[in-house]
Amino acid sequence: FPKPAIAQNIREWRMVTTWPKNFPGLGTGANLLAEYINKASDGRMKVTVYGAGEIVPAFEAIDAVGNGTVEMGHGAPYYWKGKVAAAQYLAAMPFGLTAQEQNAWFQYGGGQEIADKIYAKLNCKFFPSGNTGTQMGGWFNKEMNTIDDFKGLKMRIPGLGGEVIQAAGGNVVNLPGGEIPPALQSGAIDATEWVGPYNDLAFGLYKSAKYYYYPGWHEPATTLENFINLSAWNDLPDDLKAIVEQANRATNQMVLSEFVARNNQALKTLQEKHNVDVRPFSDDILTNLGNLSGKVLRDLVASDPLSQEVFDSLVAFREQAASWAKYSELAFMQARTLPFKY
Amino acid sequence: MYFLARFVRLIDSLNDAIGRGVAWLTIPLVVITFLVATLRYGFSVGWVSMQESYLWLYGIIFMLGAGYTLLHGGHVRVDVFYRPASARYKAWVDLIGTVFLLLPVLVLVFIYSYPYVITSWKRLEGSQETGGLPGLFLFKSVILVFCVLMGLQGLSLAARSILVLTGHREFETNEEEHEGV
Amino acid sequence: MSGEVLSLLMFAVACGVLLFGFPVAFSLGGTGLAFALIGHSMGVFDMPLLGSLPSRYFGVMSNELYVAIPLFVFMGVMLERARIAEKLLLTMGLLFGKRRAGLGISVVIVGMLLAASTGIVGATVVTMGLLSLPAMQKAGYSPRLSTGVICASGTLGQIIPPSIVLVLLGDILQGAYAEAQRSLGNWAPEPVSVIDLFVGAFIPGMLLVGMYIGWVIIQSFIDPKSAPALVEDKRPEGLLGEVMRALVPPALLIVAVLGSILTGIATPTESAAFGSVGSMILAACYRRLDLAVLRHVMSQTVQISSMVFIILLGASIFSLVFRGLGGDHLVEELLHNMPGGLFGAMLVVMTLMFVMGFFLDFIEIVFVVVPIVGPILLKMDISPVWLGIMIAINLQTSFLTPPFGFALFYLRGVAPPSIKTWDIYRGIVPFVLIQVLALVLLAMFPELATWLPKVLLN
Ligand code: NA
Ligand code: NA
Repeated sequence: FPKPAIAQNIREWRMVTTWPKNFPGLGTGANLLAEYINKASDGRMKVTVYGAGEIVPAFEAIDAVGNGTVEMGHGAPYYWKGKVAAAQYLAAMPFGLTAQEQNAWFQYGGGQEIADKIYAKLNCKFFPSGNTGTQMGGWFNKEMNTIDDFKGLKMRIPGLGGEVIQAAGGNVVNLPGGEIPPALQSGAIDATEWVGPYNDLAFGLYKSAKYYYYPGWHEPATTLENFINLSAWNDLPDDLKAIVEQANRATNQMVLSEFVARNNQALKTLQEKHNVDVRPFSDDILTNLGNLSGKVLRDLVASDPLSQEVFDSLVAFREQAASWAKYSELAFMQARTLPFKY
Repeated sequence: MYFLARFVRLIDSLNDAIGRGVAWLTIPLVVITFLVATLRYGFSVGWVSMQESYLWLYGIIFMLGAGYTLLHGGHVRVDVFYRPASARYKAWVDLIGTVFLLLPVLVLVFIYSYPYVITSWKRLEGSQETGGLPGLFLFKSVILVFCVLMGLQGLSLAARSILVLTGHREFETNEEEHEGV
Repeated sequence: MSGEVLSLLMFAVACGVLLFGFPVAFSLGGTGLAFALIGHSMGVFDMPLLGSLPSRYFGVMSNELYVAIPLFVFMGVMLERARIAEKLLLTMGLLFGKRRAGLGISVVIVGMLLAASTGIVGATVVTMGLLSLPAMQKAGYSPRLSTGVICASGTLGQIIPPSIVLVLLGDILQGAYAEAQRSLGNWAPEPVSVIDLFVGAFIPGMLLVGMYIGWVIIQSFIDPKSAPALVEDKRPEGLLGEVMRALVPPALLIVAVLGSILTGIATPTESAAFGSVGSMILAACYRRLDLAVLRHVMSQTVQISSMVFIILLGASIFSLVFRGLGGDHLVEELLHNMPGGLFGAMLVVMTLMFVMGFFLDFIEIVFVVVPIVGPILLKMDISPVWLGIMIAINLQTSFLTPPFGFALFYLRGVAPPSIKTWDIYRGIVPFVLIQVLALVLLAMFPELATWLPKVLLN
């Protein structure tokens, strides 16, 4: 039978993701988005989620959406830096914004407009659609005390963080996921970053590494994204557009909440059950990495006007946000750690 | 028939030459992969671009070598009936198979890959990895070259089958010569 | 006709088309394409879905793990061409004395070692075929027993770690297990890591090795001509020297390849490069490395790798169309209506995966079936490690089963014309039965898979 769906004006959409199906936090975020859209549209839209590799391999998701093979996708913007360099700054910037600030930038700091400009080059409409919150610095088999300890360090760390580690004299290694634990175990690599306690526990990294360093200076809060084929988006009537938009806002919030809730449980499991040695990076390390980050990023964006634009906007927002945070969240969070009885 | 025979010889020698050339790439594939591991483990140095270069070599080898492999009968068949059959049966299978299976598949892949590759060229797409190779669009173009080389070899196989069916026995596939691998 | 019915019809037609004898890659791809067009004309297939083909191909072209295939092929052809492999196997056979079946046992053991070094079926079956088939033929082994042993030991790579099947399964099972646990109210479940699966696969893998060897010995008694004793042309006092010269260098090579992976110094791909470089050095030491040998090795590497990957590409069209026609929904429906009870559910899942293994690449099967059935099965209080190993052995069996097992295609691709395809089909039958027996044992005694991880990892 010819697809009756089109006749009844039901939009059957496929969503490809860069995550394995039902992957904690990330894959489940994509499921959530589809669920919201399907329910809120009262059956006028029907989004089916496909995990990485089901229709296309993870890192081909944006092309599949851009060329109309499927209608939408879920991923993280830094995966597309090879196609449009500016995209990676939308995901996370070393020593950049927190999740709340990131969202504020998208909604009130001009972020959405810049993102739309960047994603138009990929023939897609962009929505922030989830956030991992502050990640961890990574799993290390060497003690990291000073910035010099990064010299010759073999670390699996993709993206902008990798650029900074390279500038610090580290040796950035690229490994498929499954090979990370054995490589870490044997000393083929000295360190790896992953996500945060929730995913790191599930991946079993505590079995192969000695130290778990924090904070994740390189990914202070990674934005996940929903990208929609531009003509498919433009074809939507206004009410469905609003539904998709709101579904993304809800997903954006729910994913972050899931990470916050699960990370603190998982960290407890890691510390109490698996006796993981959790350590802070020293001020020396963080100051130096911060300096390097500024330099590396400025050099990187100089060659690409669009990257420069998104970078300038983020840096301007970051400056304001940092000074407000000093009087608000930072001050309060410090206050909360004072030794009072509660 | 003369034209067909010339066509077969032309395409065969083209893919043979390309296959022999591509075969030499296996040496840098081995050496570079070996060096990546040795340098990392032994000397703590490494470049992501070097890792990617062996990835490219591997992709180029099997994609561009596919026509050459067809020429030498290396693409495996379920040959319970095919192998003991007569030269005419084989020629019919190869002719019909090429026209209805091989060529449509390659045309399809070409049609869908063309915009994919062109988009990559327009963006001058590079690696998504930190420190990766630029020029990813060149690597992606290998898909189109694969379609052309494989398609030409398919046409040669079809032409060869027609020649066999019209009594030119010298074009029968010789098992000794084309035992494949 | 609905798309789902069409997707079933496609399987049936593919069987017929394959039997005509046109290359497998294009038989699968062409049939898939034809059904895409039929489905499109009936309004049950979206042609734009085929737009994912270049992405899928590029995914194969840029998959780091697959680079191991040409590298292991290079090593295999080099060892074969320089006649190092033959010497190794024959000498190892001699070590078992004049006893029958000695060479067959050596092949299983070398297969086991090689399996340990790569997780890719295409690579090990092809390498094993290149290494051992000539030696076994020369020694007078029957084509049936030789090809059976080779295919079976060649597919051990799926079970014996490191294995790509297990890596992917680990990834997916992790999600499925977490989902099952979440639905039971456990929000921070113990993770199932790839390492758990690797350790869990060890005993079942050894069990298979033992059963293969057992069968080779039994066969040599049932039909002594099929597995003759090696003719010793050396005096016993010369044997030790011979053994040392023929056995030690290649054994060192295999140990180095294996060791570099197991210690994690190198990824499987990199260790394959160690193997290739090592095989060149060995060939040079035996003074058998010249331009002619090198050219042969290079050319064979291109052809064999191409054969393996073009099959993958053809199967990729087929499975995409299967999905596009709604075949995956059909599978989903079938599984959601699984008969009650663990036994019935497992039986349905295993049978389904077994049949799918004929046509679809394991990656597709793992991606289609496990996310659906995993959470359902895992809620029934079974060990995810056990489930993973059951699936892996089941898929291995599927790849061995005539007439469409991929392992058989790969061996056909490297076997000389003198070996008939029927020999391959008939030779594998006892090994398929062994696989089924192993599955039954594992089903009855899940501890075979779960005990070692418990002891080693906790
Ligand atoms: Na991360
Ligand atoms: Na293996």
